[in-house]
Amino acid sequence: MFLLHEYDIFWAFLIIASLIPILAFWISALLAPVREGPEKLSSYESGIEPMGGAWLQFRIRYYMFALVFVVFDVETVFLYPWAMSFDVLGISVFIEAFIFVLILVVGLVYAWRKGALEWS
Amino acid sequence: MDLPGPIHEILVLFGGFVLLLGGLGVVLLTNPTFSAFSLGLVLVCISLFYILLNSYFVAVAQLLIYVGAINVLIIFAVMFVNGSEWSKDKNFWTIGDGFTSLVCITIPFSLMTTIPDTSWYGILWTTRSNQIVEQGLINNVQQIGIHLATDFYLPFELISIILLVSLIGAITMARQ
Repeated sequence: MFLLHEYDIFWAFLIIASLIPILAFWISALLAPVREGPEKLSSYESGIEPMGGAWLQFRIRYYMFALVFVVFDVETVFLYPWAMSFDVLGISVFIEAFIFVLILVVGLVYAWRKGALEWS
Repeated sequence: MDLPGPIHEILVLFGGFVLLLGGLGVVLLTNPTFSAFSLGLVLVCISLFYILLNSYFVAVAQLLIYVGAINVLIIFAVMFVNGSEWSKDKNFWTIGDGFTSLVCITIPFSLMTTIPDTSWYGILWTTRSNQIVEQGLINNVQQIGIHLATDFYLPFELISIILLVSLIGAITMARQ
């Protein structure tokens, strides 16, 4: 009971998409000369001298972005089957989803007004 | 591409093996960051199981929510812990550990006994077919959408209210 023929293209896409980075790393590892020094082994921070260790404590502010992201991620998952079955069901479903999104827009406006979306 | 039985079994065994390794990694790795990443591996394996069970939408939802969002939250929460506090506790086996391991061993055995005894075919929504669903077309995701929009429209709206409450609560707590 294992039917995958609907998703042939998906699997082909997945294989190609995972082959390209593997090939890129493999070729560069094959061609590049190996010369290790202290500068080369230090972690790369956008060309700036690295300060301190890599294991540092985050500020709690950034947790808010992650939480807002989770909420809207869940919303997306619920809207996807709605969008897929939209042409079967018609206009009444549109109103349902409109209310659904409207309630969440209230949350977005709240987050905006409270400054939860400001990155600083 | 119909996969025959043996390949299917090999995939299930592989997924289960990686899942067990990942679960052991979550428990046994001393650095909590690595434990969190190992938990991500476990969740990816669970989504592989969903793919093998032909429920692609659940697999994608699993990847999107649990791996993409919940696991990121957990990694964030680990990052808030100060690095020096990790390996302070050398006391290896406490009463709490024993109690937890007892509960965790009891749960899989009770599941192993109850799952074969339950009749899974009596569940309402898997057997009853909707009028629209019977008209043809219709893949898995569309069926979910149709059920969500017709039979479960009230829970569908309630979900948005729950999401709103969680969003406002999270912002209020994080601002303090």
